[in-house]
Amino acid sequence: MARILLADDDIELGDMLTEYLGKEGFEVDLAHDGDMALSKALANPYDLLILDVMMPGRNGFDVLRELRARSLLPVLMLTARGDDVDSIVGLELGADDYLAKPSNPRVMVARIRAILRRAETQGEPHNGGGQPDQITLDDLVMHTGSRTVTCGNAPMSMTSTEFSVLDVLLREAGNVVSKANLSERALGRKLSRYDRSLDMHVSNLRRKLGPLPDGQERIKTVRGVGYIYSRT
Amino acid sequence: MHSLFWKIFLSFWLTLIIFAALLMFAASSYLEHIRTQQDIGSMRARLSEYFNQAQATAKDKGIAGLKEWLDRLDRSEAIPIFLIDEAGRDLLEREIPVNIIERLDRRRKHAERPEWKRPPHMQPIRLPDGSAYRMVPDFQSITLLRVLQRPRVIALPVAVAALVSALICLMLGRYLTFPLERLRRATQHIAAGDLTQRVVPSMGGRRDEIADLAGAFDKMAERLEKVFGAQRQLLSDASHELRSPLARLQVALGLARQRSSGHADKELDRIELEIERLNELIGQLLELSRLEAGVDAAHSEQIDIRELLEGLIEDAQFEADSKGCQARLQQAFPAVVKANAMLLHSAIENVVRNAIKYTRQGTAVEISMLEDARDPDHIIIQVRDHGPGVPEAMLPRIFEPFVRMEEARDRLSGGHGLGLAIADRAVRLYGGEIVAKNEPDGGLSICIRLHSLGVD
Repeated sequence: MARILLADDDIELGDMLTEYLGKEGFEVDLAHDGDMALSKALANPYDLLILDVMMPGRNGFDVLRELRARSLLPVLMLTARGDDVDSIVGLELGADDYLAKPSNPRVMVARIRAILRRAETQGEPHNGGGQPDQITLDDLVMHTGSRTVTCGNAPMSMTSTEFSVLDVLLREAGNVVSKANLSERALGRKLSRYDRSLDMHVSNLRRKLGPLPDGQERIKTVRGVGYIYSRT
Repeated sequence: MHSLFWKIFLSFWLTLIIFAALLMFAASSYLEHIRTQQDIGSMRARLSEYFNQAQATAKDKGIAGLKEWLDRLDRSEAIPIFLIDEAGRDLLEREIPVNIIERLDRRRKHAERPEWKRPPHMQPIRLPDGSAYRMVPDFQSITLLRVLQRPRVIALPVAVAALVSALICLMLGRYLTFPLERLRRATQHIAAGDLTQRVVPSMGGRRDEIADLAGAFDKMAERLEKVFGAQRQLLSDASHELRSPLARLQVALGLARQRSSGHADKELDRIELEIERLNELIGQLLELSRLEAGVDAAHSEQIDIRELLEGLIEDAQFEADSKGCQARLQQAFPAVVKANAMLLHSAIENVVRNAIKYTRQGTAVEISMLEDARDPDHIIIQVRDHGPGVPEAMLPRIFEPFVRMEEARDRLSGGHGLGLAIADRAVRLYGGEIVAKNEPDGGLSICIRLHSLGVD
């Protein structure tokens, strides 16, 4: 059973969500402020953190920033509806996905499942499929089994979502992957209009990996179409 | 305190006095100068010049030419100059003053004395027919009127007087209109929604009616800013606060669904629909209050309008299908606009959805891109429905929040009158315009005018 930490200052909502998610098969632990969320997330082995942006004291962004310095725990941000700046900031700080609040709990469950699916394969040595469990391209080596990436022999730290995005792009290296395709394969959901999540994950990847040894951009944007991982 | 009144009064008064005084001074000093013949040498030289001219004219053109010459001279010379014949008559038949006649008599007496030597201009001017004229200047008869009637004489002092008074008036005009201009600009800014405008700091150390007006203006602007800010804050806060119970309501609904295991699906669907409506309304309220605060102008990007319209119409068609009508892109060409894509999309979408709501069943909402005939830098996006239109008097008001056309009908179609208000604020945020008009053959058409960067 997946263990979820829910950080939200609305106690009543937290209790109801615990019950709802419990029926959907998740074990939920609650934190009512940023400090409690951070200490619980670092002390216990959760599978996912659902993090509300608006919390008294240390807010969601502060928690995420501190958390990402030490942990790759998957994070689903709850942002104020219609505030796309919040979601962009959250993704930039390394959230795996975001959800406007309030939204239908069924949508929330779908998002949780998608994120958990991405993280699930972590630590499993064999993914069972016929796909190779190591992809090497130029200075980049990706172990799909242990879900680790080294770039020029230096290990890279990335969230499971970033890993999934890179995974798809690497398998299609040299070909353009459309945003719709990338969203369905890496994020496990359809891309909605003006959803910036993919752009933010890709920009995080670019920042972490840096340019290719010959100075080229690793992941190029093809305007209006999608992304391409370039080979030298 | 009427300091401005006194400033205007005194400046005008002073200018008039200075002008009149300068004019009078110039004229009278000139007069005095002539009368006392202070500059006797040059006066003599002038007179002998006239004498030579007269003599030459008399020789060449006879009496008629001389008459013409004298007439011309009289018009430009402030000193009346007579040409008097033997019989004591003026060539131009002007009346000869008594003192001149006396002078002539005196001259005749002097002439009898041999020791008196005549200056050259006192010689008689002889004509070919044998008659002779004497040239006599009449210094005593220079009048102010004569001087004023000959503008060349007083052109310089008049010009100085005009210049000085113009300078004073210019300064006064500037002093009066500069702060008014500043006030006008501030008022325009406030009318356009920028309530942070203040004018007192630009007034310097002024302490008059205009400074008082500026102070009152600033007080008004401050009050407006406070009231509007409070209203906006209330709207924003209330909407935010409504989110928490709404979020709990949604989870409660989810729990109810889990428990009822399908027994009350119809009712729960209804609750879900109403929650969605409430959620959308709150979202729109927040969007509107954010737009009015003007915070979304950032994140501008270049948007291909045709692409945006095509995507938007694809989505709108679903809604149109359920109503038994259509959404059609009638006419489009490539054009790029700089704006926040999401914001512009939602603005146009609101207009299109509004049109779908009102168009009759079986008709189509027609969306077209038009070039602005008046201004090639702009494009117009026209959304036209085949519905009942809007009463003319209501046309300008449909972009205000929560304005309803037909109560019952609106409630039935789930309208809440915020869509067009959001569209209006969003379009105006990018310096665009949105107007509505009734089509002559029925239906409403809404035109969005946007600044275009041309073809990408």
